[in-house]
Amino acid sequence: MNTIDKITRADIPARTSPGYSQEDFLRHVRLRGRRIRIRRILRGGTGILVILLVWQIMSQVLDLELILPQPLTVLRNVIRTLTLTEKPWLYGPNIYVHLSHSFLRAMTGFAAAAVLAIPLGLAIGRMTTLREYVMPSIKGIYPIPGIAWIPLAILWFGLGDAAVVFVVFATTFFPLFFNTEAGARMISPTVLDAGRCFGARGLVFFFRIVLPATVPYIITGLRISLGGAWRMIVAGEMLASQDGIGYLLMESRFQFRAVDLMTAMILVAVVGYATEKLIVDTIEKRTIEKWEVHSS
Amino acid sequence: MNRRDLLALPAFLTLVTLDPRTGRAADRIRVGMLKPNIVTVIYWIAVKTGAFDKNGLDIAENPFPSGQTAAGIEQLLRGGIDFYLGASGEVAHANSRYVEAGKPVPLALIEGGISSGSFFVLQDSLRGKTLDELRGMKLRIGLSNPSSYHLILFRAFLRERGMTTDNFAWEFLTLGGPEMLPAMVSHQLDGFMHDALTTTLAQRANAGFVFMSSNRGDMGENAKHLPGTGVCGNRDFMQKNSDTTRRFTQALRDASAAYAAAPKAQMVAIMAEWSRQDPGVIDDMYGNFDPRVGLTPHAAQIWWDILGSAMLARGEISPKLTLNDVFDLHYVQQTA
Repeated sequence: MNTIDKITRADIPARTSPGYSQEDFLRHVRLRGRRIRIRRILRGGTGILVILLVWQIMSQVLDLELILPQPLTVLRNVIRTLTLTEKPWLYGPNIYVHLSHSFLRAMTGFAAAAVLAIPLGLAIGRMTTLREYVMPSIKGIYPIPGIAWIPLAILWFGLGDAAVVFVVFATTFFPLFFNTEAGARMISPTVLDAGRCFGARGLVFFFRIVLPATVPYIITGLRISLGGAWRMIVAGEMLASQDGIGYLLMESRFQFRAVDLMTAMILVAVVGYATEKLIVDTIEKRTIEKWEVHSS
Repeated sequence: MNRRDLLALPAFLTLVTLDPRTGRAADRIRVGMLKPNIVTVIYWIAVKTGAFDKNGLDIAENPFPSGQTAAGIEQLLRGGIDFYLGASGEVAHANSRYVEAGKPVPLALIEGGISSGSFFVLQDSLRGKTLDELRGMKLRIGLSNPSSYHLILFRAFLRERGMTTDNFAWEFLTLGGPEMLPAMVSHQLDGFMHDALTTTLAQRANAGFVFMSSNRGDMGENAKHLPGTGVCGNRDFMQKNSDTTRRFTQALRDASAAYAAAPKAQMVAIMAEWSRQDPGVIDDMYGNFDPRVGLTPHAAQIWWDILGSAMLARGEISPKLTLNDVFDLHYVQQTA
């Protein structure tokens, strides 16, 4: 929500300037908020329209239908796929099974990374000795791309879900860990001193001071990691799975069906966006907004 | 320089100009192939026996990893390469999309192996079981890619018996040929469908036995005569360079003739080098694998009847696609 939308009657003096009442000012604020929202929707919509137009022109004028199907063709295919009327369906189970399997694998890897990375990041961020022991190892492993873990994951866990979940974990752990660690390390000494002055110690100090001050960083880490989870699930499923959205992408590539490829990509984007809204925004609302903390 | 030399020079130059092979630089063509992969070894035999040189061809080699058949076809479609060895079903898939869009087909299979060479290997613990018994078992079967020639052939075999792979409780997992043996040894796979080399490796490691083999006739009598290795080309390029294309197919046939005439040890060494395998492995495989090409209209028809029908029944290719959309045999010299 925009800051301007939150202004209430109590925030403004009875008379703002000569000739204008408090009601006038509130109406002005509401109108301005509405104008901003409309402007955002219009600009965002225009951006999307321009992309669709360029896409349509390129596909039609350059005769690229087979490698870049027109937006309407893709949209029709998305609808047919979601209504299970796409014929022939060459990709094993229906689209909802593929999506749910991908979702479960992505969320398992992501949750495992969060469970480990957040406490570890908080601990290392606040404990210099621990940081000096652990950080070089973590920084050493960090540059290894997620996709490079796939062959090793297949060796360790075999072909199947565990290998895919592991590569998601290996990809999502680091952004979450580094953000949490940075957040915990960079808490203002003034905030910490204030907490101590008010008698906060031990778990109270952690839950009332350290965690709220770190939450904006954790949220950023969650957001980046969740995107990474969806990117990696596709790569992992292409190599070590027989269902899921990555498998569907690979199979449609081998069938040379660009329209199915783009349908799968759109569905990944939609599910990824919805997952982020559902998970990260909910956590954000329950932490940042509830505790009224803001990132510096 | 004396008078005799002066007279001989124009005569020599005339002869050089008249000889079509020595009088011009070799034509450079871009050839893609699966590498390392035993099914494309005929290319290496052609290189090593000088078949390309003899036919006035200079080859720019474009290797694609095993299991990445589609990547080569994509390059062929884009005009990044002129010919490609190692794909056949993919040509039908790609051309079918063009037929569906009402456009001329861009690719053609112009040559093919004379031996189908498809093997279905299972873990030794499954020895003695029939296909019906295996049907309900949760088996994990490895394939090099989702449009694998071996899978299409197996589907065709099932189709003749009124079944599809959906009637099986099996999982088909895609992994590269080199990873199949480690996966079998570590029991991550219950079996695989692949070529003679992977099969030989599995047998040597006592990791499995041949459950079905197209060469043995287990997948039907006609499957024995299916063209194995597919050699395809970009139709635009081939129309504009028909002489070069003929020389290219001739080079592969010359290599096939050289294979038949050469001592086994020489060919084993060439095949071992190409597939990056121990010569002992190639020696064991030798009797189960024939790398020669020699596509005939009859073999193309068998391909179409078996593999084309299986792909059509599954909806992978358009009903409008014809045999002539997939094959173009007028670049190879047909012998009686």
